[in-house]
Amino acid sequence: MSRLLSTFSARHLVFLVVLLAATIPLLLNIRLTHTASDETKHFYANIDSLPSGSVVLMSFDFEASAFAEIKPLAEAVLRHCFRQNLRVIGLSLFAEGTALGEQTLSRIAREKGKVYGTDYLYLGFRPQCTSAILAIGESLPKEFPTDYFGAATATMPVLSGVTNYDQIATVISITDGGMPTYWVDYAVTRYHARLQTVLTATMVTSFYPYISSGQIQSLIAGLKGAAEYELLLNESGGGGRGLLAQSVSQIAILAIILAGNMVGYLDRRRKWQ
Amino acid sequence: MTNRLAWIATLVTGLFMMAQYFIKTEATNAIYTTLLDYYQIIFAVSMIVGGIGLLKQHSLKVQRSSQQRGYSLITITAILFMVIVAVISGTGATSPYQWAFNNLQAPMQATTFSLLAFFVASAAYRGFRVKSAPAFVLALAAIIVLVGKSGFGEMISQQLPAIAGWVLNNPSTAAKRGILIGVGIGSVATALRVILGIERSYR
Amino acid sequence: MNSFILATGVFDPASLVLLIWVLLTCGVVSYFSYRRHVSPLRLRAIPGIAAIEEAVGRATEQGKPIVFTTGWGGDIQRPTTLAALNLLRFVAGKAASYGCRILFPTHDPVIAEAAKEIIRTAYNEAGHPDQFREDDVTFVSPSQFGYASGVDGIVSRQKPGAIFLFGTFEGEALILAETGNINGALQIAGTDSTIQLSFFIVACDYTLIGEELYTASAYLTDDHRVQSSMYAQDLIRAVLVTLLILLPILAMLGVNLYKEIL
Repeated sequence: MSRLLSTFSARHLVFLVVLLAATIPLLLNIRLTHTASDETKHFYANIDSLPSGSVVLMSFDFEASAFAEIKPLAEAVLRHCFRQNLRVIGLSLFAEGTALGEQTLSRIAREKGKVYGTDYLYLGFRPQCTSAILAIGESLPKEFPTDYFGAATATMPVLSGVTNYDQIATVISITDGGMPTYWVDYAVTRYHARLQTVLTATMVTSFYPYISSGQIQSLIAGLKGAAEYELLLNESGGGGRGLLAQSVSQIAILAIILAGNMVGYLDRRRKWQ
Repeated sequence: MTNRLAWIATLVTGLFMMAQYFIKTEATNAIYTTLLDYYQIIFAVSMIVGGIGLLKQHSLKVQRSSQQRGYSLITITAILFMVIVAVISGTGATSPYQWAFNNLQAPMQATTFSLLAFFVASAAYRGFRVKSAPAFVLALAAIIVLVGKSGFGEMISQQLPAIAGWVLNNPSTAAKRGILIGVGIGSVATALRVILGIERSYR
Repeated sequence: MNSFILATGVFDPASLVLLIWVLLTCGVVSYFSYRRHVSPLRLRAIPGIAAIEEAVGRATEQGKPIVFTTGWGGDIQRPTTLAALNLLRFVAGKAASYGCRILFPTHDPVIAEAAKEIIRTAYNEAGHPDQFREDDVTFVSPSQFGYASGVDGIVSRQKPGAIFLFGTFEGEALILAETGNINGALQIAGTDSTIQLSFFIVACDYTLIGEELYTASAYLTDDHRVQSSMYAQDLIRAVLVTLLILLPILAMLGVNLYKEIL
C-alpha cells in the first residue's frame, strides 16, 4: 500500500478526479434543465423543412469506440427523419460502423413502424471513402447494386428516382473523426451535395469554418447536442442522461486547470524564496 | 527504368484526375469510374496483404520466443478466431462474430477512447499555466468555453453560452481558417511536387 | 473552340473561376520549380524542423529506438501523408547513418509498404542494409483505437528516445502524445488537423503547425526545386491575403466581386 502511495503523483490525482466526475453523475437520477442552442435549432429546422418523401443519405462514419457518444445523437436524428416520413438510405464508410449503423437504423425504423425497402434501406460498407463518395456522385444504383443483406436495390421503392446527389435532399455524416472533410472535398465541392454532420464533441470546432463558408449546412455534436435535440423532439434518450456526467467532468477539468495554476504559482514562489 | 515508369504513371494519372474534374465527356467519365473501381479493389486487396503480413510478423515473434510472445499469441488467436467464426457462421446480427464484435471489440475500443478524458485533463493541468499575458488569454478563453458549453453554463448566466459561442465562432474559427488556407496551398504544392516528380518517396 | 466546349456541355462554366485558380497555382509552382536562375532563399527558422536531427541524435546516444507514425486520419493519397513520408526519408537517412533503430507502426498496409521501401533505401544508402529489420514497419490495425493501442503498446514497451508524429491525426493524437510524454521521449509533431494541434502543442516538445509540415522537406533538402516551390506557395499566399483585404473593402464600397474572384 505504501509503495502504491509513493508512486502516486499529481497525474494520478488528476485521473482519479476525472474518473469520479465522469462516473458518479451517471449513478444519480438528476436531469439538468437546459434550452436548445441555435446550432441545434438550425440542424433541427433543416430536417424539419424537408418535404415528406425526401431522401436522406445517412452515413455511419464512426467506430465502435465512439458509439456511446454518437448513439444518442444518431437515434435522435433518425427519429426526427422517420417522424417527417423521409426516406433514409444508410451506409458506412468505416468497416466498424457498418454493423452498428445497421443496428441503430433498424431499431429506430422498427420503433417508428417503417418498412425496409420502402421507407429505409441499408447499403452497408464501402472501402476507400474517397472513391465511394465520388462514385455515389456518378451513380448510386451502380455503386450499390445490392444492399447490406445482398438483395438487389434496383427494384426497391425507397430508391425510386434516386440516381446521385441531385436527388438526395441532404447527406448526414455521423462521425467521430474527420470524415466530413472528405464529404466536403468530394461530394459538396464536386457534386454540390447538401451536407450536415453529427459529431463527437471533440471534433466540433474543426468544422466551424465549414459552417460559416456554407459547405456544411449545420451540425450537432456531443451529448449536449443530443440532449438539446431530444428536447426539441420532445422525446427522451441517452443525451439527457449523459449531459450531467459530461458537464460535471467539464467543471472538474476547470478545477484541475485552477489547481495546476496554483501548484505552478507555489513552485515559482518557492524558487524565488 | 522502373522509377521512370512509376513517375510517368503518377504524372499521367495526376494530370488526368485534374483534367477530368473540369472536362465532362463519356470517355473521361468511363475512365474515371473505372479508376475509382480499381482504387477500391486495390485497397481491399491491400487489407488482405496487410492481414497476412501481420500474421506472419507475429508468428515470427512467437517462434523467436521474445519477451513479447504473449502479446503476439493473443493477436494471432484473435485474428484467427474472428476469421474462422465469420467464415463458419457469417456476420449476421445474431452470429458469434457479431457477438464478439459487440461484446469484446467495441468495449475494448471504447476503453481506449475513454483514455482521452484522462489525458485531456492531465494535458490541461500542465498546459494552462498562466505565465504570461497570452497564456492568461488562452486560459480565460478555455474557462469561458468549458463552462459556457457545459450544461451548467445557462444556470450561471444566460449570456455565458453565447459568449462561448462567440469565442468559438470568431477568434477560434478565424485562426483555424488561416491555418486551413495555408494547408490548402501546401497540399496543392506537395501534390504538384509529387506529380511532377520533384519530390518522391521512391528512388 | 471555347464556345464549342461550353456549348457541348463538356465544361461546366460554374467551374471557370476554380479552373483559373488551379491553372494559376499550378503555373506558379511549376514555373518556380523549374526556372534555371535561382538566388539562394533565406528561410525562416522553424525550431521543430531544426530539432529533428537533434532528436535522432539524442535517441542514438541513449541507445533507444525512434518511433515514426503518420496518424490514423490519412491514407497514402493525402498530401499530408506524402509530406510525412518525405520527412521519413530524411529521418530514416539520419537514423541509418547513426545506426539508430526506427520503428514505424501504421494503420494502412499501403503506407506500411511505402514506408518499408523508404527505410530500406535509407539503410542501403547509408551502407548498413543488414541493420534494416522488416518487422520494424508494422501494419497495426485499420481501426482508430486499435491503432492507438498498438502504438501506445510499442511506445510503452520499447521506451523510444524520440517520437515523430507527422501526418493527419484525429482522436488518437492526444493518447499517443501523452503516452510519449509519460515515457519521457522527445516528441516532434506536425499535422494539418487544426483541433489536434492544440493537443500536440501541450504534449510535445515541438509542433509543426499546418503548412509547416508541407514545407519541412524544403528545409531538409538541397534540391532548389523543392525550395523554389515553397517560395511559390508564399507568393500565392500573398495574392490570397491581398484579395482577402481588398475584397471586403470593395464590398463596402458597393463592388461585390467575391463570386467572380473566389
